[in-house]
Amino acid sequence: MNDLYASRTIARDSQLLLKKAEQDLLETVWDRYQSQLPNCGYCEMGLSCRICTMGPCRIDPFGEGPQRGVCGADADIIVARNLGRMIAAGAASHSDHGRDLVEVLDEVSRGKAAGYQIRDAQKLKRVASEYGIGADGKEILQIAGELAHAMQEDFGTRKKGLTLLQRAPTKRREIWNKLNITPRGIDRETSEMMHRTHMGVDNNWQTLLLQGLRNALSDGWGGSMIATEVSDILFGTPKPAATAVNVGVLKKDQVNIIVHGHNPVVSEMILRACQSEDLLQLAGQKGATGINLAGVCCTGNELLMRAGVPMAGNHLTTELVLATGAVDMMIVDYQCIMPSLGSAASCYHTRMISTSDKARFPGMEHREFHPDNAAEKAREVVREAIENFPNRGEVYIPVEPVNAVGGFSVETIVDALGGTAQPLIEAIKAGKIRGAVGIVGCNNPRIKQDFGHVNLAKRLIENDILVVDTGCAAVATAKAGLKIAEAAQMAGPGLREICAAVGIPPVLHMGSCVDNVRILVLAAALANALGTDISDLPIAGAAPEWYSEKAVAIGAYFVASGVYTVLGPMPPITGSINVVKLLTAGLKDVVGATFHVEPDPNKAAVAIRRHIEERREHLGLPFVKV
Amino acid sequence: MKKVIVHSERCVGCMQCMAACAITHSKTRDLFSAVLETPLPKPRIHVGVGLFNEGFPNRCRHCDPAPCQLACLPGAILRDLEFDTVLIDPDKCINCASCAMACPFGVLRYHEHCFAPPGKVVAVKCDNCIERQMQGLIPACVEVCKVHALTFEEPAEALKRKTDEVARSVSAGVSQSDLTVGFTLLNTHKRKQIELGRD
Amino acid sequence: MEHVIIGNGIAGISAAEMIRRLDPAGAITLIGDETFQPYCRPMISMVLDGSIPHDRLPIRSADFYEQFKIKAVLGNRVSAIDIASKTVSLENEQTFPFDRLLIASGADPRPINADNLHLQNIFFMRTQQHVRGMLDALSNTRRALVLGGGLVGFKAAYGLLRRGLKVTMLISSGYPLSMQVDAKAGEMIQDELTSRGLQVQVEAHVVGFDGNERVERAYLSDGTEISCDIVVIGKGALPAHSFVPRDSIKVDLGIIVDRHQQTTTENIYAAGDVAELVDISRKCRWVNAIWPEAVSQGRIAGMNMAGRKVAYKGSLSRNVMRIFGLDVMTAGIVNPAPNADYEIMTATDRRRRTYRKLVFLHDRLIGMTLVNCVEQGGILVALLQSETAVTIPKAKMLAPDFNYRQLIR
Repeated sequence: MNDLYASRTIARDSQLLLKKAEQDLLETVWDRYQSQLPNCGYCEMGLSCRICTMGPCRIDPFGEGPQRGVCGADADIIVARNLGRMIAAGAASHSDHGRDLVEVLDEVSRGKAAGYQIRDAQKLKRVASEYGIGADGKEILQIAGELAHAMQEDFGTRKKGLTLLQRAPTKRREIWNKLNITPRGIDRETSEMMHRTHMGVDNNWQTLLLQGLRNALSDGWGGSMIATEVSDILFGTPKPAATAVNVGVLKKDQVNIIVHGHNPVVSEMILRACQSEDLLQLAGQKGATGINLAGVCCTGNELLMRAGVPMAGNHLTTELVLATGAVDMMIVDYQCIMPSLGSAASCYHTRMISTSDKARFPGMEHREFHPDNAAEKAREVVREAIENFPNRGEVYIPVEPVNAVGGFSVETIVDALGGTAQPLIEAIKAGKIRGAVGIVGCNNPRIKQDFGHVNLAKRLIENDILVVDTGCAAVATAKAGLKIAEAAQMAGPGLREICAAVGIPPVLHMGSCVDNVRILVLAAALANALGTDISDLPIAGAAPEWYSEKAVAIGAYFVASGVYTVLGPMPPITGSINVVKLLTAGLKDVVGATFHVEPDPNKAAVAIRRHIEERREHLGLPFVKV
Repeated sequence: MKKVIVHSERCVGCMQCMAACAITHSKTRDLFSAVLETPLPKPRIHVGVGLFNEGFPNRCRHCDPAPCQLACLPGAILRDLEFDTVLIDPDKCINCASCAMACPFGVLRYHEHCFAPPGKVVAVKCDNCIERQMQGLIPACVEVCKVHALTFEEPAEALKRKTDEVARSVSAGVSQSDLTVGFTLLNTHKRKQIELGRD
Repeated sequence: MEHVIIGNGIAGISAAEMIRRLDPAGAITLIGDETFQPYCRPMISMVLDGSIPHDRLPIRSADFYEQFKIKAVLGNRVSAIDIASKTVSLENEQTFPFDRLLIASGADPRPINADNLHLQNIFFMRTQQHVRGMLDALSNTRRALVLGGGLVGFKAAYGLLRRGLKVTMLISSGYPLSMQVDAKAGEMIQDELTSRGLQVQVEAHVVGFDGNERVERAYLSDGTEISCDIVVIGKGALPAHSFVPRDSIKVDLGIIVDRHQQTTTENIYAAGDVAELVDISRKCRWVNAIWPEAVSQGRIAGMNMAGRKVAYKGSLSRNVMRIFGLDVMTAGIVNPAPNADYEIMTATDRRRRTYRKLVFLHDRLIGMTLVNCVEQGGILVALLQSETAVTIPKAKMLAPDFNYRQLIR
């Protein structure tokens, strides 16, 4: 295998498709990354500011050129402002996704969303009661309507604290109150961050960063959490299901439709359409033996979690799947969809459909989905995908799919443990499982695809640390075979024993990127069971290959919630040593957790193990010195 | 005589030097109109990427003797003695690329430009901003470089500074300036990341 | 000091300029057989193809000899060198004494064995005179036959194609420029030319010509015939040293010189197409009859003649040309003999339409071929000449973003 391909990705399917892409003269994200080098150091360090036209400004890190922007902002302020806006963008993305789901819930409650329904009425009632909405004597749809209304309040200006914060341990909420970073309204915090970062507003780098934490918390305990809970209510709480991953899930003899993007509002309707009798018949008439729906990125993860729908790849695979020539249609909604996909698809027969008013792309046909027309539109586009099946040229599906198990919502994990989290707590106390780590986040062409995720996961499970993962990270470990029962063989003796006893793989797929809140909920539940704060737990987070602003928001809400989080790529903060020190050390005294940047997954594993053992010692549990 | 000195360890890869060079070598010498000109002006300094994604401003060294001058078939490359600058005459140039074959630094490019006969592709390289120097200005790339990776000074002064720097670095009890800690942190991280990817 | 230089090509001219710079008082006599002003020989193919007018050939001013105080003796060839009396004799019986002598007499076109070479419109292509003759003949000609696929033949074919003639090229190797490029690049070049109308015939050679005063057809060794009304013989050039006394001055293909461009007789030097010296990449004596070598060797010879004992590391074959839509740069050993010690690395980028081939011997680069995007080629030539060990991952040198920065610490 050409060294060049192996240097870009550890995933065999990607390597083979990179070769095919080269033969097809298809430009990929890796090519464009190379052309961008060298990156501008001012931007890499966070030292360029484009916020106003008195600028744009740069700070010279060598101390000889300008040390302040035109307005007088120094490196600390500029770095903090830039980071703050990244968090705002990430939080806004997650929260807007949540808002769209709440609107569907609202439409469902009023009977205006054909095709959508309440799948998990129990969860609806549970969440409603958290919002102070009683269930007695009410129809399900009425509860749904009241819940939607109450959740919409969380987005606004009326409240002093988001509702679901009550899930967090008391100690944690006290810390937030004391620091004045309790998120008040989901949109409010993003709006205030944009306000504070306007020229001449907040020019204290510490308070800017604190607002960043608050904004992130409005996502983690707000927008994203609402997204996940409402998705469970509408589409079902995930249960364990067998599934498969990598490009091999595409089928030569079936109509292949890939959903890409994030919101299950669209992908769930596509799934229904793919299962309808008349469309299956049509597929048969066109010479296909069925309709094969697969996903890439988070919307795929949502379908995988609820219905075992297979995943064709993660972020860096989204162009490459087209090179198989086997994708009859790719349907996208929003987030993480590369604008290059339209032109990439034009090299093949693939039809590209955009569905969200918010997200248009060059080279894609726009078919707008709304709650009231989604079911119908889904049938339309699936029909067209079937019509496209005979137009295939050369088909190249070079690998066999890898099996995996997904669907580990908190409810599932607790069920698997017998109804309470106690067995997990006992295993942690006894030291069979040293602790747990959430590996989350994206791919990034700076890093060999999946190299960070897979190696970190392997090192951690070897150290008897349970790994839960989400997003592209979850797909990476699935591709590497870590999500089957047999993978427990790779784990240390303690974890291996627990996996066998409970019947779980050593790496648990907890869902999409908004589903990172499931990790928060689990952490909160463990903390509450032990009577501690989240920061006392022997847990950590990691984002070995992150790229997006959403990831910055997630990292920030993890740390703000007390979870030590290790990053692979360096965020644009090195321009201010003050900011670096606060985020990687100072925050410990502020929120009880910090960031740590370590590109080598083996060393990251050591740092995490060290942290976990130190937390065990702090809790009075048996520990080892690392 | 003052020369452009490159302090490559400071280059942050922002490519402002390239933009300024292209604008200076355009007809209108203004960013907004330069990008609308035909032919489109191009830089004569080129920021290359190093093995660890560092930036490096690569410009003509105006060597003496100049390998390009010796290799030039029609004798289109000459040295201006007053400004110690090696210049290419676009009228004489025959676009044979012998100069690129001779240049050990890879600074030659071939394209049309507004000072060459219209429609003629010729060899192009840094001209030391000789026109600016004649007006008492400093080369455009130096003027815009905010990290002082490009300076315009007597080589002896730059060498003296470097000598002092080296001497300080081997002296006991000297701590590194905090001003560069951030850049070093970033570069260390980038290097590690790249080395991991190569294994 | 009496400096005598045989040859007014660029080797001789470069030596003369260098001597004058270092020795303001010494006498310099320059003997040349062409009476035309010093000119750039490689550019004659550009006159043929029409991209430059003939009057652009001279590369020194009309008063060059006067300016440099050179006594120019033009229009005659040297007949003998008397080592004992240190004199050079011309065919017209003039003699010139010397203290230092530089033989930079260049090379003459290699002749071929064929009948009726006297017919009109059969040309060699070495001098500006040859090309003038070709241009005069062009108005009456439509079908050209070029013998030889090396640099001269190739450039002749290219020039005639650009002039709109039908061109057939007869070559003895599998592809043109076989001394300069490997099979892959040769194929790319051949495809480019055949797409523009060139016909190539392999392994055929001409045994004779026929015609009424002007050539009308050529007879091939395989019995076939090709009709043609203009022929260019590009079968290489032989160093011109018939006048050199073999008992004192060692001669192989070229005049053998040491690191100071000095022949086996003290104070007699040779430089340029006539000289044979160690080739840096081949590590044996070689004649690299190319323009940049003539310049370097002439300069070095001049320095040594003027008393500065500067050593020259050795010659290196290299070439760059633009052929319609292709640019090709080559240097060193591009077709190494099969040997486990050589490491050959290639990269083809179909989107950028580039091809790269690098040949390494352990850690030294010893040869390279670049097709398209050739601007960074000089860096590789410098590596070849300096024989610096390559300590970076070699694959980086094949990448499109390879640049000088990647070689320095």
